[in-house]
Amino acid sequence: MTPGAESARAVHTSAVGLYEHFRRQGYDFFVGVPCSGLTPFINDLGADISMTFLPAPREDVALAMAAGAAMGGRKPLVYLQSSGLGHLVNPITSLLKPYGLAVHLLISLRRQPFEHAFMHKITGRLLELLEYDDYTLLEERQCDV
Amino acid sequence: MRRLEAIRKLAVGWSHELVVATTGMISRELYVVRDRPENFYMCGSMGCALPIGMGLALARPDRKVVVLDGDGAALMSLGSLALARYLRLANLEHIILDNGTYASTGNQPTCSAVVNFKDIGFNVRVVRVEPGNEPDTPRIPYDPLEMRRRFEAATRRPA
Repeated sequence: MTPGAESARAVHTSAVGLYEHFRRQGYDFFVGVPCSGLTPFINDLGADISMTFLPAPREDVALAMAAGAAMGGRKPLVYLQSSGLGHLVNPITSLLKPYGLAVHLLISLRRQPFEHAFMHKITGRLLELLEYDDYTLLEERQCDV
Repeated sequence: MRRLEAIRKLAVGWSHELVVATTGMISRELYVVRDRPENFYMCGSMGCALPIGMGLALARPDRKVVVLDGDGAALMSLGSLALARYLRLANLEHIILDNGTYASTGNQPTCSAVVNFKDIGFNVRVVRVEPGNEPDTPRIPYDPLEMRRRFEAATRRPA
């Protein structure tokens, strides 16, 4: 188990088949900020003509869109790389928590290069501190960007 | 025009519109002039009113969605205005009450004077209002969970 993964609901090591996996679970609204580790997932989402592709400019925008979609009756998922988790602190603490909104996070957990190392170390603890357990971690294998 | 009067004039025209109001005094003054189940008072998460409205407008293309924003909040998430322009959702209107200040926190200046929001966003309507707040504006008394459930029930009623 990696340092970031102690409290994960689910840990995957490949994004292949992940989109279909979440579709089968009823998720019907996908928005996020890309990660190279999520490429198969994002390609499958982009290929689904029943979905509007939503290129969010930042993770908090994606999470707020997901919250709005949830209030409109959808089951939303937000995808991001771990480097963007900090942007979610505000909407998790002051939007999702007080209003009781559920959004699943698919987080690509980056380890390398160096700029990802510290967030990798604290990702699990940060989510635990936020009392947020509705997420899936995608462990890094080969990510270049 | 005072912000309260501007909100009153806008709100009087709403019937089935789903309204997402930004944090601070804009939500509180909307509550004062016209509380309705179709209002979502976004207390907190400054900058998120427009993306919430976009998600709602995407989920409910049969409903008109109005985002009632402030210049400070719009500036905080300018990227979401660009996404709104990219998506061009016909059922979404973005109203920005622009007083050039963070009025709710004591009228500290924003940089809105150098920004043309209409050039960045989509279906943007900028309403210039005076800085300052009305005295004795109450806080929104609802439990946030109950208010959200009331809003969701309103989104499910046929328009």
